[in-house]
Amino acid sequence: MRRLVVFLLVVGLIGPLGQTVAQERGVTPEEVVIGTSMPLSGPAAYWGAVGRGMEAYARYLNEQGGIHGRRLRVVVRDDGYLPPRAAANVRELVERVGVFAIVSLIGSANAFAVRDYLVRNQVLWITPTADATMWYGFRQKRYLFVTYPSYVEEARILVEYAAERLGVHTVAVFYQNDLYGQKGLLGAKQGAHRARIRIVAQVPYEVTAADVSTEAVKLRESRAEAVLLYATPRHGALIVREMAKVGYAPRLLSSFTLADPIMFTLAGEAWNNVISTGFFPLPGTGDARVDQALGILTRMDPALRANPHNALAGWAFLEPLVEALRRAGRELTKERVVSALESLRNWDGEVIRGVTFGPDRRQGIHRIFLTRAEGGRYVRISDWIPYPVRF
Amino acid sequence: MTLLLQYIANGLAAGSLYALVALGIVLLYRSSRVLNFAHGDLSSMGVFLALSALAAGWPYPLAVAAGLGSSGLLAMAFYRIFLRPVRGGTLLGSVIATLAFALVLSGLQVWGWGTQTRVFPFPLSESRVVRWGGVAASERTLGTLGIGILLVAGLSVFVQRSRWGLAMRAVAQDPEAAQLVGVPAARVLAATWALSGVLGACAGVLLAPAVFVDPFMMLDPFLKGFAAAVLGGMESLPGAVVGGFGLGVLESLFAGYVSVRFKTTLAFGVIVAALLIRPEGLLGRPFQRRV
Repeated sequence: MRRLVVFLLVVGLIGPLGQTVAQERGVTPEEVVIGTSMPLSGPAAYWGAVGRGMEAYARYLNEQGGIHGRRLRVVVRDDGYLPPRAAANVRELVERVGVFAIVSLIGSANAFAVRDYLVRNQVLWITPTADATMWYGFRQKRYLFVTYPSYVEEARILVEYAAERLGVHTVAVFYQNDLYGQKGLLGAKQGAHRARIRIVAQVPYEVTAADVSTEAVKLRESRAEAVLLYATPRHGALIVREMAKVGYAPRLLSSFTLADPIMFTLAGEAWNNVISTGFFPLPGTGDARVDQALGILTRMDPALRANPHNALAGWAFLEPLVEALRRAGRELTKERVVSALESLRNWDGEVIRGVTFGPDRRQGIHRIFLTRAEGGRYVRISDWIPYPVRF
Repeated sequence: MTLLLQYIANGLAAGSLYALVALGIVLLYRSSRVLNFAHGDLSSMGVFLALSALAAGWPYPLAVAAGLGSSGLLAMAFYRIFLRPVRGGTLLGSVIATLAFALVLSGLQVWGWGTQTRVFPFPLSESRVVRWGGVAASERTLGTLGIGILLVAGLSVFVQRSRWGLAMRAVAQDPEAAQLVGVPAARVLAATWALSGVLGACAGVLLAPAVFVDPFMMLDPFLKGFAAAVLGGMESLPGAVVGGFGLGVLESLFAGYVSVRFKTTLAFGVIVAALLIRPEGLLGRPFQRRV
């Protein structure tokens, strides 16, 4: 009898322990839990549609039966575009919700705020939506996989294009006064240096600002032939309108974060001819798979019609993980997903294209293309423009 | 010289809106001692309701009036339902209640209208520009500046000359004494909340065509309006106007000639400087306590 009691005690104590060790965080026989943090409120809330895009894509996958029988559950937390709230959200997602992976997380400053925590805790992090130069020379990146372009490289390419193809000699930069805008400014400086042209004005604004009329006058006073915008859609439209008001009409260049249909509504005619970039095929440009993906997203969540590019970005950010989950098989572990991601070679998803990872490579994409705004849509005007693989 | 005038013109245009926000804050503060953190969200709620009325095909003046009226009613309802029943409570409790109200309103706007940026129409054009020498201002800017000044003047006449204005001033000075001489203090306070809500929505409707509409459009104007109120004097309506225009011009000149990077920070600097140098504000009366 005593032996039986001891046996039951041992089984009772060790049994659950063994089960805990074997079980992967965020994975049950029924579901895989994914977490993300982004601005659903505050001045950058417009970009929060990325999270809705991810949720809609997950709902679509679940409708199709999930991945190896497991449903995908996306837990979205609002950080208001504030780094301290992003840090608190990520801790909650990892320690309380127990997510299998973090996907996206919008904002360079926010990503920087959570970087050390995620690395220290070996959390799988797919496509931080932040300037990719953050990872240059970064060593502890086993669980990090990035398919988001670098603002530095993007701004460099835009300024070089303006110098070489548009004959621009002077550029001014209107940028958000945080890591996002500052990286754009850095890239503009690099591009100007390489193309031997001048940056004649650097005009920052705060993301909460409502009035940028003085900034427009500063830009006009610089007499720059082109103005590069690293801003929210709202501030991008505001500055374009204010510049027009004070009689200043430079060539306009902008980050892909502004290459959104809403800009035509907000800025009107003034948005025509703006040169921007893209890192996945844009809807309505003849790519049937992207158009189909957008159709699915808007069917799952009709509100996403108002924000198609960000909705597709949500799909693009989640897509590599979905493919890795497929490749990892039913016996799902973090290490198997890492191996699966590392096996992606020039892989084309429905939205994101040309993704390559490897044991020493975490920079999944290294190319963008140029677009021009024309009468309410964006027209692709260049082939893929590669930039160096750095991490 | 032209550049200086352009900066001043820009500052006046922004300042007229700061003044309207500040007026709503001050009107309420001097009557109830409550700093209403929901002021900005009440404003944007009015804008969204006006936008929905426009989308439903209402004529422009009617839609805007409905937006303004709804903000006023919401503000009054908040006072009657949440603040009045606990009038024996602490002031801090009331202020925190306004903070909660702000969060509820903001959440309702995100839920009801989403977070996408929208255009608010205005009868005057943003792209047609009037120029004097080298100074440029859009028709819309001039229109909002004019309406802003008219509203400020109208409010001033209302508060100084009307019976309700007199009652508001009486309640602001001493609610208990006002009640004793027959002023219905609770009704006057409710009306003050409503008027403050309408003023806030006026600022919102005038600001919306300039800065676009989203549930968080009033974050910055509310902060600037608060700074303007502190600068002018939290108890002085003319002070709110002077503070609003003063802050607008100061901000524009500072960004133009000193640092555009610290333009937004200037409002915080103004609050700190005003509290250090002249806590009662430019037009406020010095604080005195009988001992």
